[in-house]
Amino acid sequence: MQTAFSLEQLAQPTIAEADGILKTCVHYGFCTATCPTYVLFRDENDSPRGRIDLIRAMLEKGGTPDAKTVLHLDRCLSCLSCVTTCAVKVDYTHLIDIARAHIEDNYRRPLSERMLRRMIAELLPYPRRFAFALRLARLANPLAAFLPARARNLIELATGWPAAGEILRPRIYPARGMRKMRVALLPSCAQQVLDRNINAATIRLLQRHGCEVVVAAGVGCCGALPLHMGRQMQGKALAGANIAAWSVKMANGLDAIVVNASGCGTTVKDYAHLVGGEQACRIGALTRDVTELLAELGLSHGSAQPYRVAYHDACSLQHGQGVTAQPRKLLAQAGFNVLDVPERHFCCGSAGTYNLLQPDIAVALGQRKAAHIDSVDPDIIAAGNLGCMVQIARFTQAPVVHTVELLDWGTGGPMPSALRDRRLRNPAARAAQAAQSKTAASPPPVDPNPTAVW
Amino acid sequence: MSSTNLEAFFAAITGVLGADGVNRSEETIRRYGENTMPGGDRPPAGVVYPGSTADVQLIVRAANTHKIPLYPISTGNNIGLGTRSAATAGQVVVDLGRNMNRIVDIDEKLAFAVVEPGVSYQTLYDELVRRGNKLMLDVTSGPPQGGMIGNALDKGAGYSPYFDHFGFSCGLEIVLGTGEMLRTGDGTLDAKDLINWHTSKYSFGPILDGLFTQSNFGIVTRMGVWLLPRPPAVRSFHFTFPDDDDLETIIELCRPLKLSNFVPTLFRVSNDLYLCGSEGESPEYRASGGKRSISDEGRRHLRERHRLGAWNVSGAFYGPSGAAMEPQIHRVRDMFMQGGKARYIAHEEAAAIPPLQTAINAFSGVPSVGELGLLKWRPGGGNIWFAPGTPMDGRVANEFQRLCRKIYQEFGFDYTAMNVCSARFARGLHVITFNREDADERRRADACYRKMSREVAARGVFVGRAPVDYHEFHMAQTIPAFRDACSGIKAALDPNGIIAPGRYGIVETTAR
Repeated sequence: MQTAFSLEQLAQPTIAEADGILKTCVHYGFCTATCPTYVLFRDENDSPRGRIDLIRAMLEKGGTPDAKTVLHLDRCLSCLSCVTTCAVKVDYTHLIDIARAHIEDNYRRPLSERMLRRMIAELLPYPRRFAFALRLARLANPLAAFLPARARNLIELATGWPAAGEILRPRIYPARGMRKMRVALLPSCAQQVLDRNINAATIRLLQRHGCEVVVAAGVGCCGALPLHMGRQMQGKALAGANIAAWSVKMANGLDAIVVNASGCGTTVKDYAHLVGGEQACRIGALTRDVTELLAELGLSHGSAQPYRVAYHDACSLQHGQGVTAQPRKLLAQAGFNVLDVPERHFCCGSAGTYNLLQPDIAVALGQRKAAHIDSVDPDIIAAGNLGCMVQIARFTQAPVVHTVELLDWGTGGPMPSALRDRRLRNPAARAAQAAQSKTAASPPPVDPNPTAVW
Repeated sequence: MSSTNLEAFFAAITGVLGADGVNRSEETIRRYGENTMPGGDRPPAGVVYPGSTADVQLIVRAANTHKIPLYPISTGNNIGLGTRSAATAGQVVVDLGRNMNRIVDIDEKLAFAVVEPGVSYQTLYDELVRRGNKLMLDVTSGPPQGGMIGNALDKGAGYSPYFDHFGFSCGLEIVLGTGEMLRTGDGTLDAKDLINWHTSKYSFGPILDGLFTQSNFGIVTRMGVWLLPRPPAVRSFHFTFPDDDDLETIIELCRPLKLSNFVPTLFRVSNDLYLCGSEGESPEYRASGGKRSISDEGRRHLRERHRLGAWNVSGAFYGPSGAAMEPQIHRVRDMFMQGGKARYIAHEEAAAIPPLQTAINAFSGVPSVGELGLLKWRPGGGNIWFAPGTPMDGRVANEFQRLCRKIYQEFGFDYTAMNVCSARFARGLHVITFNREDADERRRADACYRKMSREVAARGVFVGRAPVDYHEFHMAQTIPAFRDACSGIKAALDPNGIIAPGRYGIVETTAR
């Protein structure tokens, strides 16, 4: 694609970066078929290719963007499905962030939207504030029916997840047995407020696999939430604080920084781009999704019952980090029967703060995702990101847990709390029932692929 | 085509399909007109979106009434073969893919599926996996979002035993240029329950299916496709050869293994750039300004970096387990290694080399995006696929290799080819990647394509699939009797010439 920036514009680093990215797009359009909003709306402006054109025009013109451009760019989930599909690997990840920052700096949204965005940016990244807000939301829950739709959606999302949170204090959790690694855990800001089980399972699992787990003082939000809302300065400040906090621990040796919220993982791995500098590069290189690290360590003997586990690929894990094989392999090693779901490349609609900011589209995508998951008849749904878990749970009856909770359970940990009051189908009984139906039915069902033919 | 007719046509279609059934926005017209060929973009007059065969019939009848040329497309992008743009500007695109995207049926006992034009490889793959992954579809190594019907009708192919996508289709539903609906195969029977429509092609009467491949006689709205029971294990094998002229030896080695069907998959015999090209931009493009082919030294560096050869052979076995297939792998390995030039790459090692993983995916019936990287070998997005074929005779295949390589170099492009080898014939997928934003490169790419086409034709070789821009050129290479026959059929099935005039070189004026 050709661009027409002035020399003065190109002197700005962000415009120069955008210019370089824009020029790589050749409009093949592979991205359209895998873009959730294009599939929903079939509007070129709601496809990555169309958005790239809108971004080019917006940045070339400079100043206040028009409302139409903001509408279509706001609808982008930043799910990065387009990045996986793109033949020429356009760096859409950073282009859309530049565009969002431009909108944030140059566009005045309606008052209600400004308030909502500010509230999200000031609450979610800060666990204590978010925990307090969550208590207020629970108090307001009985009145939700009388509130405007957007406020109702906020309260529903905030209170719909049943688990309790626990804000982790700085601490060192020793390795069980011989120490193989010393790792730092990112507790993840909103996740620890909403669901303590994920960090608890992660720590148990890592300890059991010979990791000393460090929760460093001063580590907070990774910066992803404000960053993807266009608040680059806030995102950079949060990232900078984490880099400083982990740097202290790195002085005593750190083999990895472990992340169990994949949206955060994508951002921390990209700190070199976000913040720059040698230390940011080192931290980015040290960062692993928890399943990447466990695959490297090798999972200890799995003893799980072969429950049917539908694995949902969080976009930030599959498109942002390219981690797809490890979670499946680990779950299978733990003993579960891992099921792929149709349209696995598609976003569930959670997308960070997307289901707060674009509730209608998020519901359409959530329902679509849940229907695909339900179609494989799972006992349990597993995902590597709390945002996806909360979103999917809104639209399905099947219990939704984090991948680490199952891995922990399958290797000697407790049953995930989300499963405790559920009546899961017994895999052995199911197999026996299937065998019985085979003998009872006449004629027996035909297996189109009997192993004997091979 | 007058603007009055066009407005009346769109009004009629809007009246039937509603506002959502028609799109004439500037953005949409621009997108549907984009074309990666040297000739550039060809904007349509608008796009219509049928939701059923009955809708297609209505559209075709309205087009006959108002004399509006239609250009049906299924789904996917068709990069390298003309994208989705119409044969000529101003035609009305009938986008079947948006709403006609249902998997009509999957028969697990008889192992076939019935699909509409919008069903992509990924969609059917997902559904088969959801049903327990007991059946495998043959996929291309191209985009997962490519359309199954569009590919089969353009004579596309994959790599498994069911590689011939048209050959393994069975039973079509077609809307002819008159608006009449036709069924082929055993669907011709005038009965309610057509239990053999998608299982048999050979009952009473002529086999009409072939008329609708690479033609513009009708719009196919439904197709049966046969599926393979998924093997419990797929075990691939790979060999690299160091020299360009090793192609002769390779073809001689592959032929008996395919004639006997000892190896169930086709052989992918890819040159260095076909594989390395998917891993990044040409390291010499910027320095030469795109005027010269990559140097031998540059190719050697790439081969070393990616642990590949000047030619690279891939195939696979299917069986109950990896261990059970080891004896077959050993036999193939012994044959390829006996000349002393080949290097063997085992399945596990290949899985860690991305371009070879693409081959493993293709043999395994798993759609993947790996090969799309080829499109970024040069910037600017220009891409032409040249797809001639040679007999499986090593000497002949190597002569063609030398010829085409020389022509690539003459025009400053990089010889990028994969020979997909069956028993008697190998289709040569040649990629001409060029910078579409550079007028000189566009001109050279066009000249390169035309010269290769003429030179191979002079030696008795025709192209298999061709970009839309070259359909007329290739049709002119055929014997007059063939052109007359096509025109006669066109006149019979589409008397007003409203379906894709110009597509495959069968033009309205010829029809009349």
